[in-house]
Amino acid sequence: MDEKMESKGVFDLIEGLKTVDPHALEDFKKAMTEDVIPEIVKIVEERKLLAAESRNWQLKC
Amino acid sequence: MYTWIPINSSADLAALGKEISVEYDPESVIKKLNTGLSGAVKAILVERNYIDKDYRSTYYNFYAKKGQSYRTDCVRLHFFDETVTFDAKALKLGGHSEEQLKYHYFGYMVLRPTGIATIGRSVVSPDVRTGTSGFTISAHHKVHLLGYKFAVQGFPSMDQHIDIAVCAHVACWSILRHYSECYSIYREFLTHDITLMAQQFDPGGLVPSKGLEVSHAERVFQEAGTFPLHVVRTNQADVAFYRQFHAYVESGFPLFAAMHSQRHAIAVIGYEWKIPNNNPITQMRYAWEEVKAVTVVDDNQLPYLSIGVQGGTPYSAQDIDAFIVPLPEKVFYPADAVDRLAPTLFRLGALLGGLPGKDESIIRYFITTGSALRRFIRMRESEFDPKLIETIMSLPFAQFVWIVEIATLADWANGQVSARAVLDATASLREVLPFWLFHNRTQALIFDRSQVGAGINGIRSLGLTGMQGTALTRWDKNLRPTQRK
Repeated sequence: MDEKMESKGVFDLIEGLKTVDPHALEDFKKAMTEDVIPEIVKIVEERKLLAAESRNWQLKC
Repeated sequence: MYTWIPINSSADLAALGKEISVEYDPESVIKKLNTGLSGAVKAILVERNYIDKDYRSTYYNFYAKKGQSYRTDCVRLHFFDETVTFDAKALKLGGHSEEQLKYHYFGYMVLRPTGIATIGRSVVSPDVRTGTSGFTISAHHKVHLLGYKFAVQGFPSMDQHIDIAVCAHVACWSILRHYSECYSIYREFLTHDITLMAQQFDPGGLVPSKGLEVSHAERVFQEAGTFPLHVVRTNQADVAFYRQFHAYVESGFPLFAAMHSQRHAIAVIGYEWKIPNNNPITQMRYAWEEVKAVTVVDDNQLPYLSIGVQGGTPYSAQDIDAFIVPLPEKVFYPADAVDRLAPTLFRLGALLGGLPGKDESIIRYFITTGSALRRFIRMRESEFDPKLIETIMSLPFAQFVWIVEIATLADWANGQVSARAVLDATASLREVLPFWLFHNRTQALIFDRSQVGAGINGIRSLGLTGMQGTALTRWDKNLRPTQRK
C-alpha cells in the first residue's frame, strides 16, 4: 500500500457510495437520544447495583 | 494395564466393576454411564496407572496430607464405536488408520481414587450423551493413548471433590480449561489452582468445602486474565436477562450460571432451537423465544445436561438468576445495549429501501470478531454483491463486533435472514450511531468510525445488486451442532 492509499478514508476506497439525506436519520436519532440511550443507561446501572448485592450469594451444592 | 470391554448391551458395563478397584467407586460410575451414554459407545478401553495432572494437583495439596492413604494414580476410560478393535497382546488399536481413528473415538473419563465423587477430568463428545441435541460450545482436546494421538471435540467436565472443591470451583475449572484449549492467550489452570485463585489467601483446611460466593468466582476469572461481566436478573419477568444470556452463549462464551435458591453453580454451554412452526408472528420476537432447551455442565451429572427453558427437573433456565461471562478485554458495548437498540433498527428501514415489518420479525444478536465476519463473508461470496464484500474487507473493524440479524418467520424456518447489522463492540453506551454496517438485499449503510462525532457526514449508502434472489444465510457457526449417535 503506498502512502496515498494509507491516507485515504474508507469512503474513498469504495466506489458507488452516496450521501444520506440527514432528514431520513432524524427519527432514528430522536428515538436513540430520547428513549433508547436513557433506557440502556438505566438498566446498566440497575444491573450494577444488583450485581453488588449478589456477590455474597453462597454456592456449594 | 489395558483392558478392552466390548459393550453390546448396558449389562456389559457391569464388567467395569471387575476391572476397577473399589477406591474408584465403579458402582456409581457404571450407574452414571448406563443412564448417560448412548448405545453408540460399543467398547471401553480401561487404561490403568494413568497420571492425571488435575488429580495430582489435589493429591499434592490435600490427599497426601490425610491419615488415610490415597493412590497417586488414576484410571482412564476411553470410549469407542463398534468399528474399532483392540489387540491385547500387541497393545494396538485396529479397524482404522490412526488418522481415521479420531472419527470413531468419543472421548475419555478419568476416575480418581477418592472413594466418592470419583469422576475426574473428562472430555466426552456430546454426540454420545443421551438426551442432548442442538448446539454446544466445544474445543478440540488432544489425547495421547498407546502411542496414538487423537483429538476429541467436547467441553471439559468433572465431579466436584466435595471436600476441597464444590460446584462453583468445578464450573470455573470447566470454563477455564475450555479457554486454555481454545485460545492461546489463556494458560491452563489445575483444580487446586482454581481453589487458590478464589481467595486472597491460601484457603487450606475445610474452607473450600464451605463453598464459594459469586464474588469468588468473579475473582477466579479475573485472575485467569479474562474480563468477567456479572449480570443479575432484575425480577422473574426480566426476559432481557435471558436474551443476553443466550446471546453470549451463541457468541461462544460459556457462562458461569448461579442459582440462588438452589445455592448451585453450573456452566452453560449450549442450546437447542424449537422446531420452527408456521404460526404467524404477531409481535417482534428475540431468538431466545425460539430456544427449547439449554445445555449445561453440572458437576452432579454427566456433562451436556439438557434443561428446559421453563419447568422440569432437576431445574430449568428459570432457576438461573445470575451469570458471569468471562469476556475478552475489548468488549465495551454490553448486550443490554444491543438488546435495547435492536428494535430501533427498523427506523432505518426507509434508508435501506425497506425491512420486514417489525412485528413480523425475529431478532438475533451475538458477538464475533471482525476476522470471523470477513471469513464468514468469504466462505459465502455467492450470497453477496462484490461491492459489499469489498466494503466488509475494507472497514477497519475493532477486534470484536456485535452482529444483529433480522429474520422473517420464513427466513427463520430456512436458516436465513433478511438484514444484518454490524455494531462496534467497543462503542460507548451513549453513542447514537454505534454501527459499522447495516444491510439488506438491496442497500447497505456504511459508517465511517474514523472521526468522532462525524454524524451524517460519516454515513454513506451503497446500492446492492444481484442479491434479491440469493440466500442470506443465518450465521449459526459459532457453536458445534450435535450429531446424535
